[in-house]
Amino acid sequence: MIKEAFGKGVAILEGLGTVFKHVFEKPVTVQFPEEFKPFAERFKGRHELKRYENGLEKCIGCALCAAACPADAIWVEAEENTDEERYSPGERYAKTYEINMLRCIFCGYCEDACPTEAIVLEKHYELSFTDRRDAIYTKEMLLVPPPEGQEDTPRKVEPGSFDRSIPVMEDPK
Amino acid sequence: MSLLERRKEDIERHLAKYPQKQSAVMPLLYIAQEEYGYITEEAMEEIASIVDTDVTQVRGIVGFYTMYYSQEKGKYLIQICTDLPCALRGAEAFSAKVCEALGIQPGETTDDGLFTVENVMCIGACDRAPVIQVNFKFYENMDMDSFNDLIEALRREHDAMQPYSHE
Amino acid sequence: MADTVKITIDDIEHEVPAGMNLIDAAKLCGVDIPVFCYHPKLGHDGNCRMCLVELGLPRKNRETGEMELAWFPKLETACTQKTCEGMAIRTTTERVTDARRAVLEFLLSSHPLDCPICDKGGECPLQNLTMAHGPGTSRMYWEDRMHLGKHVALGELIFLDQERCIHCARCIRFQEKIALDPVLGFDMRGRKQQIVTSSTPGFNSIFSGNTTDICPVGALTTADFRFNARPWEMVQVATICSHCPVGCNMSFDTRTDRLAGGRTTIRRVMPRQNEAVNEIWICDKGRFARHYMEHEERLTTPLVRKGGMLVEATWEEAIREVAAQLKAAGPNIGAVAGGRLSNEDLYALQKLIRGQGSGDLSAYLPNATGGEIAARFGVGVGTNLKYLGAGDAIVVVASDLHEEAPIWWLRAAAAARRGAELIVISGRETRLDVEASQSIRCAYGAEVATLNAMLGSLPKTAVKAGESLDGMAEAIVHAKEFTADAALKAAAKTIAGAGNAVIFVGSEGLTGEASRELAQASANLLAATGHVGRANNGLIIVWPSANGQGAADMGFDPGFGPGYQPVDKPGRSYGDIFAALADDVIKVLVIAGADPVYDDLTAEESIRKTKGFIVVQEMFLTETAKLADVVLPVQSAAECEGTYTSGERRVQRFYPAVEPLGESLPAWLITQRIGEVLGQGAPSVSAAVLLAEIGRNVPQYAGITCQTLAKVEEQFPDVGGEDLYYGGTSFQNVRGLGVQWPTLAEQVDAPLSVAPAQAGEVLEPADGEMIVVPVTLVYDTEALFFKTQLLHQRVPLPHIGLNPADAGRLDMVDGDLVSLTIDDHRVAAAAYLDERVPSGVVTIPRRLQTQGAPLFATTAPVVKLEKVEA
Repeated sequence: MIKEAFGKGVAILEGLGTVFKHVFEKPVTVQFPEEFKPFAERFKGRHELKRYENGLEKCIGCALCAAACPADAIWVEAEENTDEERYSPGERYAKTYEINMLRCIFCGYCEDACPTEAIVLEKHYELSFTDRRDAIYTKEMLLVPPPEGQEDTPRKVEPGSFDRSIPVMEDPK
Repeated sequence: MSLLERRKEDIERHLAKYPQKQSAVMPLLYIAQEEYGYITEEAMEEIASIVDTDVTQVRGIVGFYTMYYSQEKGKYLIQICTDLPCALRGAEAFSAKVCEALGIQPGETTDDGLFTVENVMCIGACDRAPVIQVNFKFYENMDMDSFNDLIEALRREHDAMQPYSHE
Repeated sequence: MADTVKITIDDIEHEVPAGMNLIDAAKLCGVDIPVFCYHPKLGHDGNCRMCLVELGLPRKNRETGEMELAWFPKLETACTQKTCEGMAIRTTTERVTDARRAVLEFLLSSHPLDCPICDKGGECPLQNLTMAHGPGTSRMYWEDRMHLGKHVALGELIFLDQERCIHCARCIRFQEKIALDPVLGFDMRGRKQQIVTSSTPGFNSIFSGNTTDICPVGALTTADFRFNARPWEMVQVATICSHCPVGCNMSFDTRTDRLAGGRTTIRRVMPRQNEAVNEIWICDKGRFARHYMEHEERLTTPLVRKGGMLVEATWEEAIREVAAQLKAAGPNIGAVAGGRLSNEDLYALQKLIRGQGSGDLSAYLPNATGGEIAARFGVGVGTNLKYLGAGDAIVVVASDLHEEAPIWWLRAAAAARRGAELIVISGRETRLDVEASQSIRCAYGAEVATLNAMLGSLPKTAVKAGESLDGMAEAIVHAKEFTADAALKAAAKTIAGAGNAVIFVGSEGLTGEASRELAQASANLLAATGHVGRANNGLIIVWPSANGQGAADMGFDPGFGPGYQPVDKPGRSYGDIFAALADDVIKVLVIAGADPVYDDLTAEESIRKTKGFIVVQEMFLTETAKLADVVLPVQSAAECEGTYTSGERRVQRFYPAVEPLGESLPAWLITQRIGEVLGQGAPSVSAAVLLAEIGRNVPQYAGITCQTLAKVEEQFPDVGGEDLYYGGTSFQNVRGLGVQWPTLAEQVDAPLSVAPAQAGEVLEPADGEMIVVPVTLVYDTEALFFKTQLLHQRVPLPHIGLNPADAGRLDMVDGDLVSLTIDDHRVAAAAYLDERVPSGVVTIPRRLQTQGAPLFATTAPVVKLEKVEA
């Protein structure tokens, strides 16, 4: 009987011991949204459409991302660049670029498919909407602003300054 | 004055030679080249209408054969053979020197419109390499001295306003 | 089947036709030999070297005297070989795969890596074959790639990308061998070789778009499809071209677009294979003139005239108004229907008008008639112009096929090149005359006399085949009254001796009655010589619009009811309808899919004069619609479904591709809703149900249903589908080859008869007058066609064709203003001197002059207008 009561007392102390141990440990809770947890190296968050250093858009509107997308979340419509209105260095740019974030499964296939490294899944993950329509991110929302000191697109350029169909890429060995 | 008006007889002679008019394209092109020094746009169009074909096909023939010229060339066409035997005898270096002397690149014409330099394949005088042709006339065993003499002679000939001939 | 031989492909023996191209033969056996330059329609060229195989041929061993297989020491190009007994090839050995890899590495040495933006990307033979046979890496120096022109315009329709071109010469060969417009060529040679065109305007051919289909890379692309969509994004919807009576099978490639506000839009038009109709080709008009369908000027709501103005109204209001007018007019009504309406539209319209007791129904343009003769002596079931060749005859009478039905022109010319006798009978020289073995010039109006003279000149033995036919004896006796010169006799003899004979009956300059007689004269000639009632024999009427045959079949002919059934009281002809309208005898006129005010000099007057009620069913506010009392917006052929009947009597089905624009409705539904108010019964549920009704009431269409029209069978050469590399990007036909309905001549014991063809009067111009002939151009300013901005540059300026000799007499030079006065209407345009116009004749292109053109050949004073100095 006594032995039994003693055994219970030990168990309680053991339990309390665990509790007190944790009192002195560093808390794991993060004060989101003031604080962020560090990202994994290959974390895939919301997409961004990138620009070249000169501020021109990387996207050429080829729609390979849309073709690769297993969730059918991307929609691209292309148009032709002119010297009057130039968006990207090649012949073609994306007039419409939309991603439905409700459909997107953040697999990154679009990133893999992109021949110009225009679409990149960045670290941003705070996606919340009050309406299904708001889940469709348009090109304006996805496109990053031009680098410091660079003019926004579309631009008027000297005729003949861009004569390649796609931006010159490095030797794809 | 159209080509047909200038060289009616020759053109008809060539047309009569072939069962089909189209076959006469090449001789007619030579006539045009003789007349104008090179084959002009208008000449191509006229020949196309003479032999009843599309001008595109005439242009294709002019483009294919290197001895038809669709660009205006100098009064003296200097063709330097750079094929193997001539090359072994230093034709490439010779060609470079010629170009340097005239201040042009192969395929170009001097500013005074006198000389056009071209590197060509074997012209069949390998035993006397390096060999050049000036307006299809052979000059053999060339070096820079003999070339300079030749140029001098040609300049004098030009200054004397000799009538221009392709023969 | 022809003789067959046994060949061995990869150690498996196959039986294939003798003398067939080896690539085709292998294809038949299911063995793919990759090619770039070879094309089953173009033949071999042997320049791409992609089809290298190990080849063995039987050879006699000199020692033993026995036959043995001798393998060639080097690889051979399969495309330059023809099958023969004992031939053996190997297509999968290491040598062959190595060679293919090497060829691809070479072709790609300077090919740009711009597949992501290339319009061909995704349906590109070079991409596909590289994936299948190519090297994974390249040994070439990246810096050594050629940088060439990327966006070189070969004219405003077709662009050339010089970097992508692999110099297979498919486009050049197509233009030379098939389109017969040798406007493409190679300039320079070696690495500098480039495709060039020197024609004016650039790439001057009405078949230019086809080169983009057969281009095995993205070197040739159309301006219409530039960056318009990726091939895999589009949905193909089968359709039939609505521009001419050939009835080319096409595909609308559609996509739902954000930029179009979420609407499905047509991104491009592609040919769809139908070996019996258009093979794999379409003309540029069919390919590019599609923009009217989505044009902003399309009518989207009904318009009703109120206080002199056309104002928007509801369907209910418009239909009630039309029905009330029709009811009040009783049988004093009529209808004029254009030939781009579907069979269903036409059937519903004639049912409405006949239901009210009137038979005044005319097809538009009214020049071509004779549907009932085509129903008896038309080309037999299974006709395919592809099979006409040496020993056969094709006659083209009173038609400029190149302008009126381009694909028929192409196929007739191809038959002539295969050895068929091509006889062209017309008032002026046309492009077909170049290919013709016999060109016969006859005066305008003397076409019937010419054909009669040909029939009359035939000896008794030559007309044996038709002797037993009712009326043939009289027809021959009648024909003997016409004298034939040596040329006509020779032509008649050619036809009589031909294995197969087809006559294309045109209607250039002819009135409706004259063209019926011409069809009769053609039928007499064919029936007499035994060229009716079987495949590849008979006549084809060159209708002025896509569904002219269908309109005649549905009873848009004053003499006949639907299916050429006799009517109690013949209706009025086109001219009489407008005359009756002007006199207020006809109180309601329904004009559907036609624009007579724009095309016809005299129609406007009648419409302005009448107190009657004009109802127009149209897509646009045309000149006719502007004068109407009610305008009912109809759907385009891309929005509704229906069937067209081609000139070869092939009923073909088209499918809805895009959502209807605004409130527009199918024409048949509008008509039937009006009929419903008039107590003619509830509208059909769908066009398919209406087609079934046509099948019950029009004998020729018995058994034709949506199901039978959708049937397909395997076609050779197979193009499209997985075989892009082989035949180009023309589409495989999976939605129906159509049904050709049989003529009476093909049916046993059918009541068949002929009748003498009455020759009309040849026009006799008075002093100072000339014969004025309206002619058709492929590119004109017709309301629908001219909505396509892309083709505007190809439309000629208004002009009047004139023989240089006549011009000299009138003291005129090219470009002078010339004026004609036709029935008090003055038509003035620049003179275009053309030696092909006969002396004493002026030609007026139809639908080009803003003042209109006469519908039929006529005479008129021709004067030179002094230029007014500005």
